[in-house]
Formats: sequence, C-alpha cells, structure tokens
Amino acid sequence: MKLALFAVSFLVVFIFTVTANSYYVFIMATLALTAITGIGLNVLLGLTGQVSFGHVGFYALGAYAVAILTVAAKWSFWAALPVAAAVAAATGALLALPAVRVRGPYLAMVTIAFGFIVEHVAVEWRALTGGQNGIMGIPQPAPFGVPFGERGVALAAIVVAAAATLLYSIFAKSQFGKAMRAVKDSEVAAESVGLAPVRVKTAAFAISACAAGIAGAFFAPLSGFVTPSTFAFSQSILFVLVVLIGGAGSVAGPLVGAAIVVLLPEVLAGLAEYRLLFFGALLLFVLWLAPEGVVGALTKLASRKKASRRPEAGSVALAPRAQSGLAVQNLGIAFGGVRAAHEIAFEAKPGQVTSLIGPNGAGKTTVLNLLSGFYRPDAGVIRLDATEIQGMPAWRIARAGVARTYQTTQLFGSMTVLENLQISRKNAAEQDLHALLSFVGYAGDVDARASDLAHVDKRLVEIARALATRPALLLLDEPAAGLSAADKAALARLLRRIADGGVAVVLVEHDMSVVMGISDHVVVLDAGVRIAAGTPAEVQRDPAVRKAYLGDGQVRQAAERRTPGAPLLEVGRLAAGYGAEPVLKGIDLGVREGEMVAVLGANGAGKSTLMRAIAGLHRPVDGGISFERTEISRERADRVVRRGVVLVPEGRQVFPELSVLDNLALGAFSRKKWSSGEIDEMLERFPKLRARLQQRAGLLSGGEQQMLALARGLMAKPRLLLLDEPSLGLAPTVIGDLFAALDRLRGEAATILLVDQMAGLALALADRAYVIDAGRIVASGAAGEIAADGALEKAYLAVG
Amino acid sequence: MLVTSALITGLALGSMYGLLALGFHVTYAVSSTVNFAQGSSMMLGAVFAYTFAVTLGWPLAPAAFLALALCALYGVIVELLAVRPFARRGSSAWLMATVALGIVADNTVLFTFGKEPRGFTLAWAQGSVQLAGINVSWLQIAIPAVGLALAAALHLFSRHTKLGKAMLAVVQNPDAARLMGINVALAVSLAYAASSLFAGAAGIMIAPLFNVHSDMGTLFGLKAFAVAILGGVTSAWGVMLAGLIFGLTESLITALLGSGYTQILSFALVIAALALMPNGLFGRAEVKKV
Amino acid sequence: MAWVLLSFTRFFWEVDMRILLAALAFLLGISNASAQTIKIGLVTALSGQSARAGEAITRGLAIAIDEINAKGGVLGRQLELVRRDDEATPAKGVIAARELLFKEKVAVLFGGLDTPVSLAIVPIMNQEKVPFMGPWAAGTPITRNGADPNFVFRVSAVDEIVNRAMLQYSQKTFNAKNCGMILVNNPWGESNEKGLTAALAAKGMKPAGVEKFDGNDVDVVPQLTRLKAAGADCLFLVGNVGPSAQVVKSLDRMGWKPPIVSHWGPAGGRFTELAGPSAKDVHFIQTYSFFGKQSPVGEKVLKALMAKYPDVKGAGDVTPAVGVANAYDGMMLTAMAIQNAGSIDGPKIREGFYRIGRYEGLIKTYDKPFTPGNHDAVNENDYVWTQFIDNQILPVGMKN
Repeated sequence: MKLALFAVSFLVVFIFTVTANSYYVFIMATLALTAITGIGLNVLLGLTGQVSFGHVGFYALGAYAVAILTVAAKWSFWAALPVAAAVAAATGALLALPAVRVRGPYLAMVTIAFGFIVEHVAVEWRALTGGQNGIMGIPQPAPFGVPFGERGVALAAIVVAAAATLLYSIFAKSQFGKAMRAVKDSEVAAESVGLAPVRVKTAAFAISACAAGIAGAFFAPLSGFVTPSTFAFSQSILFVLVVLIGGAGSVAGPLVGAAIVVLLPEVLAGLAEYRLLFFGALLLFVLWLAPEGVVGALTKLASRKKASRRPEAGSVALAPRAQSGLAVQNLGIAFGGVRAAHEIAFEAKPGQVTSLIGPNGAGKTTVLNLLSGFYRPDAGVIRLDATEIQGMPAWRIARAGVARTYQTTQLFGSMTVLENLQISRKNAAEQDLHALLSFVGYAGDVDARASDLAHVDKRLVEIARALATRPALLLLDEPAAGLSAADKAALARLLRRIADGGVAVVLVEHDMSVVMGISDHVVVLDAGVRIAAGTPAEVQRDPAVRKAYLGDGQVRQAAERRTPGAPLLEVGRLAAGYGAEPVLKGIDLGVREGEMVAVLGANGAGKSTLMRAIAGLHRPVDGGISFERTEISRERADRVVRRGVVLVPEGRQVFPELSVLDNLALGAFSRKKWSSGEIDEMLERFPKLRARLQQRAGLLSGGEQQMLALARGLMAKPRLLLLDEPSLGLAPTVIGDLFAALDRLRGEAATILLVDQMAGLALALADRAYVIDAGRIVASGAAGEIAADGALEKAYLAVG
Repeated sequence: MLVTSALITGLALGSMYGLLALGFHVTYAVSSTVNFAQGSSMMLGAVFAYTFAVTLGWPLAPAAFLALALCALYGVIVELLAVRPFARRGSSAWLMATVALGIVADNTVLFTFGKEPRGFTLAWAQGSVQLAGINVSWLQIAIPAVGLALAAALHLFSRHTKLGKAMLAVVQNPDAARLMGINVALAVSLAYAASSLFAGAAGIMIAPLFNVHSDMGTLFGLKAFAVAILGGVTSAWGVMLAGLIFGLTESLITALLGSGYTQILSFALVIAALALMPNGLFGRAEVKKV
Repeated sequence: MAWVLLSFTRFFWEVDMRILLAALAFLLGISNASAQTIKIGLVTALSGQSARAGEAITRGLAIAIDEINAKGGVLGRQLELVRRDDEATPAKGVIAARELLFKEKVAVLFGGLDTPVSLAIVPIMNQEKVPFMGPWAAGTPITRNGADPNFVFRVSAVDEIVNRAMLQYSQKTFNAKNCGMILVNNPWGESNEKGLTAALAAKGMKPAGVEKFDGNDVDVVPQLTRLKAAGADCLFLVGNVGPSAQVVKSLDRMGWKPPIVSHWGPAGGRFTELAGPSAKDVHFIQTYSFFGKQSPVGEKVLKALMAKYPDVKGAGDVTPAVGVANAYDGMMLTAMAIQNAGSIDGPKIREGFYRIGRYEGLIKTYDKPFTPGNHDAVNENDYVWTQFIDNQILPVGMKN
C-alpha cells in the first residue's frame, strides 16, 4: 500500500515536471535535490543519531567536481557523476575520523568547521575553482548526443530521488540500518552485541556525504554555474531542518520536509520572505510537540493497532563455545588515584554460576566493566578459554563470546523486542529468536517497542538479547533489582537453567537469597579487593564477610537513652522508583523529636532512595512524607532544607574545588542570618578541620571529608538530621572519631535518622531501628531488640 | 608595523571571542547545555543599544544598561523555551532548539530593525592615541579592557560572593547544592542570563567596528564556540586565553596571508584539536559510568 | 501547487485517482494564464547593505511607469512592475530571474546593483531571448558578453569607462602620480582591476600596488599599510558600501589620509553612517545628481518623487540619485523600444531598442543611444563626481 502511494506520488511529480514551464521545472529539480540530500542526511541524523551542520560542504564538493570535470577536462556528465559521488563519500569517511570521537555540540562544531573549510577553499583555490567567480557555463548532460536541457536534469533528479527513497527504505530495515539505530539508541549496548560503533558511524557519514555529493553533482548542470556563495552555511541548517521537520528516521520524512522547505514558500508567495522565520518557529514546535516530525505525528494519528504476537516456545540450544571458562588474574584499575579494583583474581567455569558480592563501592560493577571491555585495566590478565581479552575494545570482546546485561537496562529503545534480538544474531531464523524469548520467560508482544516494556520484561529481553549472541560467558549486573519476589524466583531459576546449558554465568547481585540460592561459587569484594571466596555456605560463615557487611560487631557503649518528644517526621506508604523499576514499595516509619533512629538493610534494599526521597532529591514519590505535620512529599530539596530537614548525603559530596571554609559557609546558605562564631563552634567540634580551613575540600582525606560534610550539614541548624552511610569507606580509627561526633550530637538531643551499613555502629547509637528488605520494612523496634534478632543477618546475608 | 597593528586588532577581536566563549562556559559548567545561537544574543545587544542610543537618542550609559538588561532577559527566555523542556527529559534536542530560536530571533530583528546594516558611532571612540609608533583608536583599547574586566568580574563574583560560590557549588555537585538549599533551576536561569549579558556586551562593543545588522552575530558565535571548545568548555580562564590566542592568530594570518586562509586555518585547527583532545585543551575528562 | 504538497501528506489515507488527475489538469491550466498588463521585472538587492540602492531603482522605475501609464501605457496596455530580492548572491538572483521570466512572463527584466548577479543572469536572458536592461551594475562584460544576438542593454556606468575617468580625475584633481588599488575580492573588483590596469597602461603608468580585501573584512589595515609602504599617494577604491566603509575606518585607524577616488560603491547605502566622519573624503562617480540647476525633466521627476514618496522632501533625500536616474531613463527607453516593436516579443523589442532616435531624458538627451555595436547608453561625458556630505550625495565642491 505504501509502495503504491510512493509510486503514484513520484509519477505525478514526474508528469508535472514534463509539462510545466521552466520555472516550475527548476523548482521541482530543487525539490528533488533537496530530498536526495535529506535522505542521505536522514541516514546520519535519523538512523545513527549524529548531527551534522556541514552537509552543504559535500553538496559543494559534488557540484564543483562535476563543474571542473565537465568544463575544464571536458568529461561527460555521466562520467563525472560517479567521481563526484566518490569524492564526496571519501571526504565523508575522512571527516568521520575526528567526528566519531565526539558528540553533541562538539560534533556540531566539527561539521560546521568542515562546511566553512570547503566554502573558503573554493574561494581561495582559484586555479581549480575559479575563486569567487566560480565556474560558469557548465554544460548540460547530453546522452547519445541529445541535449538534456533543464527539464531532463530535473527528471533525472526526480528519478534519482525515487531510487534513493527506495534504497533508504530497504536499508533502514536491513541489518545495516538496524545496526545504525542500535548505535543511536545505546552505543554501549551496541558494542556489547558485537557492533563496532566507529565503523557504523563512519559508514553513516560516508553514505550521507555520497547522497549530498550526488545531489550537488546534478545541481551543477541545472544551475549552469557554481560559486562559493551558493554553498553557504545557512544551507546546511536548511538541510537539517528538512530532516527534522519531516521526521528523522522515517522514509517519507525527508520528502515531506523537502516539500515544506521548497514548495511552501512558492505556495505562499506573498509571505515567501518570512520563510526562514517560519521554518525556525516550525522547528521549535516540532521539537516541543512532535519530535518525530510531521510524518511521525501523522503516523501516530493514523496508526492502527497491530495484533500482538507472542513468542512461540521452541528448543533452545545455547551452544556456548567455551571449554575452560573465564580466568581472571591480578586485575586492577585506578581512577584518579583511587583504586577501584586491585589484584582481583577468580575463575568462572562453564556450567556454573559465579556470584560477585560485596558492600557498596566494593568495585563489583567495575570488575564487570573490565571483563566486558568498557574499561581498560591498568594491570592483570583476563582469559577466556585460551584467549587473553583484556584491553581489547568492547565490541571485539563481545564477538569473542562475552555478553552482558546492565544495571539500568540498555535495550535499543526505539526498536521492537524482536529487532533487539535480530541485531545480536544476524540471519537468525525468527522461530529461533522466538524460542529464546520464550526460554527467558517473556510472554509479551514480540513487536512491542522496547522502551514501552514493563521493568521485568525489559530485564528478560535484555537477557535474551545477550543469549542471542551465543556467549561463552554471560555477565549480569544486578538483574534482580526492582523485581517482585515471584519474578526474582523466576529469574533465579532462569539463571540456573542458563548455567546448566553450559554458559559460564557471572552474577553481580545484592539480593542474597538469589545469590545464595543459585550460586556454585561466590566471590566477595570490599573496597576493590577480594576478601573471601568459596561456596555460599562458606562465605556466609566467613568472619571477614560478616565484618564487611555488618560491621566489626564491636560493641560500643552509648550514652543514656532519653525520652523522645513529639513526632517530627512521619513517612506513610512511601513508594518510589526509577522509571519502570520500583525501589521502595510502601515504607512506614517515624522519628520523634530528640530520637536517633537507624535504618538498616542490605544494598539495593532502598535505604539511600529513602533518604533522598525524604530530603527532596527524589521526586516524584507516592505516599506521604510529613514533617512537623506539613506534607513535604511534593517539595523539592531546596525547600525541604529550609524547613530544617538536612541530609548529609552518601559519599560525603563536598564541593571539591571550594575551600573547607566555603563549604561550611554554603551549609548555612538556606539561613538568613548566621555569624562567623558558628564556624568556630564547628571547628571546635571537629578540630581536624581547623588546620585545613583554607584548603580545597577535594584534597581532604575520606574521614576529614566526612567530618566536613557533617559540619556543613550542622551549619544549616537542622531540626532533623539525615545521615546516609557516614561510615562508608572510612578507616577503623576514623570511624571511632565519627562515632564520638555522633555520640556528642546524640547527647545534645539532636533528632537524627541514620542509615549505615555498619549495623553495629548504628545500633549502638540509635534508640530505635528499622530493617528494610526489598523495598519494605521487615522489622522494627528498639535498637537492642533488633541487634539480637536474626532479621538483620537474614536481610544482609540470607542466613537462616 | 603591520604586525603590531594586527596584534592590536587581534586583541580586540580575541577578547570579544573570549567574552562570548565565557558565556558558553558559564552555562555549560552549570547545566551541561549551551545556547548554540549565542551569536544572536550578541546581535540583540547591538540592536537594543542602537535602538536606545541612536534611534531614541538616549545617552550611552542608560542605553547600554537597558540593552544589557534586555539581553539577560533574552537569555532567561532561551533557557526556558529551548533548553529546559529538553534537558529535563534528558534529550539533547536543546542543541537544535537553540539554533531554531536563534533563527527566529535573527529574522524577527530583520523584519523589525530593518534589512540594512546601520552604523553605530561612539563619539569618544573616534579619537586615537599613538602607541608603539602606530595609531590606536580608543575603541581598540576599550574593547579588550572591557572584555578582560568582565571576565575578571565573573571570576571575582564566583569566588567572593555568596551567590557566586553557590553557582560554583552547582557546577561542582548539583545534588549537594540542592541539599544546601540552592535552587539549581534558578542557578541555571541565572547562568543563561549572564551568558547572554556577556554576549550582548560583546555585541555593543563590536558594533562600531562591524555595524549593526541582523546577521552580525552568526559567524562570530560559531567561532566563539570553537574558542570555547579549544579552551575547554569547563575552564573559565582557559576559555578567555583561548579567545585571545584565537583572535591574535586570526589577525596575524590575515595580515600576512589574506583573510580567506584565516578561516580555513582556524577551522582546520578546530577539527584537529577536537580530534586529538575531545575534551578541549584545558577541560577535564569525566569518568564514564554505565 | 498546493496539490503537490497535499499529495505527500496523503500517504496514510486513501488516494482518489480521479482527484489527482483533476488536480493535474488544473495545474497544467494555471501555467498558461494570460496577462492583461505588460510586466516589467526587477531583480535587485532589496535587503542587506545595498537595500537603499534597490529601493532607488524601484522608485525610478515606478515614477517612469506612472508617467507612461498616465499617458495610456504601451501598446494600449498598462505597465506593471514585479520585483524580486536577489540578496546580492548570484544563485538567488538566477532563481528570481527564472521566476520572473517563466512564471511572471515579464517582457523586459531590469537588473540590480551587483555585477556578479547580473553576470549570472545574462546567459539566461540571451538564451531565452528576453531583453535585459541594467540600471546600475557596471561590470564591463555584462553588455560586452560576446553573445550574438545580444539582448543585454544598459543605462549606467561601464567599468572600463569609469576606470579611465577615475584615473583622469585623480590626475586632474589631486595631481596623483602613484595610485594604489584597493579592491573588493569579487568579480566586480576583478573587472575593475583589469580596467584600471589598462587605463594606467594606456598612459604608460603602473599602480603603486594592487590589494584585495574580503567583503566581510573588518580590518583592512594590513593591505593599506602595504600600499602606503609602496609610496601610494592616492587610492583607487572599488567596493560596495559596507566594504568601502571599512576601508575608510581602517584608514582612520592608521591615521593616513590619502585622496580616495572611488567607483560608486559608497552610493549604494548609508555611507556616512557606516564609515563615520571621514566618509566625506571619498570622491566617487555618479551619473546624475538632483542638486543644482535641473532640466525640465529633472524637475518633473523630482516633483513626482516628492508627491509619491513622503520621505522625499528635497533633492537631498533622493539618495542614491543614480539608481533613480538610471532606472527612470532606462524605463523610458524600454517603453520606447516596446512601442517600436509593436509587440512584447523579445527579439522584436531588441530591434526596437536600435530604432530609438532622440529622447530628452533625465541624465541627458539621448540620440540613437543603442546600436548593434554599443549597448551602453551612457558614456564618460555624462559622469559626475560627488561626495557624501552628511548622508547626502553632493557634487564635489557644492555646499549643502
């Protein structure tokens, strides 16, 4: 049907051009050439997502090539045309060398610079291009001695435009087109299915340049002369307008865009001089309201719902290639002096599930990134079977048999579920892919857009996509995050089945029940270093592991308990998440004035999200948060602070380039009046800061930064102080100082809500405690009770 | 002689590139976005100043003041209309949107201000002074002086005032800044206002040299962005320095080889620089996370 | 036309073939609309630095057309002026010319200021055999384009002749011995470079130097410094109003005040405003001035201008006069040619130009202005040297 429409439209335009007068012929030709350039640019901008404000440069190259060859060298147009196309394409590939390394405004700048260079070279290279005068008297093509005339050139251009449209529609659906869309949606994920983004982007540049060059080649005989001023920067903007207004990525988009840009001023002849104003405003409206362009908006209006297709079950042969699996030795990487991973060593055998666990900041995701090639290690060897894969680019590692999923699912959002898999495995039979989807438990529509899927479905499809590459090694980064209990159980069973199929599975996960339930081997990391390894049972009993998770168990004696006052903070049925992924599923808790309350739980349980939600950083949330009887669940952080709810965030988050003094002063930003005497009070409370008062905060040690963050928070004179993981990453002696500081606050009857991994520390200080597991409160009570209760151990280590 | 004159012109142009580039830096540091059509802000400064000072005959000081205020307002409008809707949903369409808004602004001025370039003469700027054996007009001295003064003012503001430090805080850690009670959205608006104000100031200073018309800012803005990139959009002094170097180099090449080669060489330099250092000369690479 | 757009947007709806065919027929029909008036086309810069010049040409044509129409028009039909903006670029100029030729079907096309634009349009005029009348662009190859038959006529200065006049004036008025050329880097500049070099060579002289500068350049000091170093005692300036203003400002910065003998670029716009007080030091050529004693034709035209355009209150407001004068005479001569031809057929109008005898025009009294060997109606005897004094173009030596 669509094909018939296109054919009819082109036929009509063709017939019109045969009969119309010379002016309209010229307009139709301009339309065709603009469309051809737009179609080429669509490959770059629409499919691959790379912006270019310099395409008039390629257009100019094509035009000048034909002009020079037909006028000076007296070639025939038909011989000059392929040369023009080749010159443009080669230049496009050359421009890609710098262009693919940059993105966003930098990429725009590179392309703009290119356009200007072409224009000015045309002006300066007089011998070749005629300088400002340009080249005149370009002969028209005359096949078989019959002169074409303008009409002939116009008709030829229309035919080429039709061909280009056809080629584009085939290309967009092909494996190449899919690869480009994949790179646009997620370069990282594209690499992990074995696509090389640099090659894909270079190809896109070359193709779009070639199209512009061909259009320019036809322009030369059409216009009869070429001058540098014809190929000005503003023309490049117009080309981009054509693609964006029409609808980037769609087949008809450039055609509609070209029609609007070229024909509309003719139709509204009286207002033609306002056309640029109109186009600018139109583009703004398109970007605001209809980012898919005119064609996209019309498609949405006219689309009929297609029947959904479920995946059919079938036999799945995972057929991995590995014999001996993964062996990692002495792996390490440092970022700016901080060792994120150091001397990591472990093995993951085929047919086994090897889990990497550890508290926050242990380096688990870093290790996965090193294995998959996202980071290049500073030291160490990664061996997959006999091959050493460390240091290889990610896409090569992917092709060697390593597949992975990501913490935040990286599906190719604009493509369907089936297409996501088709990219991973070229020439796969659809039924095989269906079987794979059914194997992972996906029961939805295979033609659904990936970005529209529910959270759990996204995870399943991502796993299916990873499996489609027939990996020897499958890396999974927190796949269970945000899943319901039932979904988690299903996921666990799936991972077990995958391992049983012969794949070596490496799993990073916080949910201990999942980990302990299916793992053959568990490796425990803490602060970038391996601290334990063994079977699940061994690890659960390992004292080093317990210490890392639960704290040193050292019982500290805190001051007397006091009687709390009126309720200050009340949280009811609080639910919050990230996109489709729910984290908090209904939290009830309260803090009374003068109390210190602890919130404990394993990583991924939602503690930080809870703190951020209360502090106003995470919005929107469902449920209620009320402070001093006022609802604050809709207020943002800067307003919440003014009420007296102050968060000392996880990871300290000092302002690294500002001095300690400035940091402290900023702490009081929300208050109207404060005196420098208060700074002295802080320095008295935290004497180590005194010596560093004028130093840049980023240079302080971890412990000093924590003190600074705490002091900064106190400068705001909080009514309720929220502390998120204050002991994270601190050395034991420093933790002692921290404890003392917090104890002092406690003694001053400050109201504090404390979250910390060091359960022992928190419970020694707190009056009451809550335990969070999988987004819900699973235990609450006086601190002493919680300490004795096994709920903690269950939550942290899935023991019991 | 030739070289000295070229250096002086280059200094003037370079400090204007630096001012515009500073505008890019301010917004990029605070929000990771820029007004890609900064040239339009520059043009508006000149157009407003012309309207007040020449068409309405006001004295220069209030004319310039009001022009700059309107430019700042324009900056806030740009952020509101062309940046915020897209940055908020994580889309990078703000790049195209600011370009589109620039086109709208340029063409609106074309149809209201007029299609011809108009001359903007400042009586006091006509006189000249002997310096190093050549004639230097007061304007050529004033331009770099004002440019550097504004850059210094920005530096002082950000290091020594409460608001300035709050802006730095937003640059260094937006979430922590929110926790201090700083309204980050307001900070972004302020950054855009400041950026547009700088551009407008550059426009007013340049108007006597270039004449005022709706197109005057386009090429200037693009080159200033190249300067911002070369200076590393994350470093204020780097940007100003890059502007001066760019202006001086441009001027020297024009004097010795001719202006066509200047454009070719400067743009080729931009491409080369980006190819080698995708984060600019002074900028810092951020650690990728996935 | 709207139908073509419609066809693209009807992708997703059913298409009715009958509607399409009907629209096609309609469209074929509208291409053949017949005209009641005789259309006179004008392609010139209507925006940018030379917008004033474009406006002046328009006014000259309009006044002439009003006068002709009041007397019953030409061949019993009224004349109608159709204008398009060429934005000073050849590409846009060619598109505008095509539109006027093929869509509006003008009988004669008037050109604009810019030599490069006229040069690009000329081949089409000769190809389509429609007469072209140049009221301003002075590039020599415009009328001397080697085509036979040549459809391009001009009532305006000619670079080759202007260049000789420039040299003569510099010697007579300033006693100049060693002139340097400062020319804008485009086809017009190149045409004048040739003409000036030839004029100098004819007197056995050489220029002190030949410097080119880009139209967008703000700083021309390097080029001027080189000329000064070469000992130039006078400058030949060729450039549009914007670039010429930059030359003047650059000279100010250098503190150098040589005599400047210029082509008529400054006349195209607000020269004094753009160049500053030193603008008055530039002596440039014109073909006419409304200052001083006017002929009856001059008074008639001035009165008509003041009646039709409220902003014209006296001779000083007709700036640039050249555009008005050249266009007025050009239009009158064109009307006579059409009348002579007895039809609006291009080749016949061309013959009609040759048959023009005596015409008492504004610039001068013409006597057989066009012959097959000469398509330029104005020569060096008709030139006037002028200066910009306070935004007005006055003949040299005349006080405001």
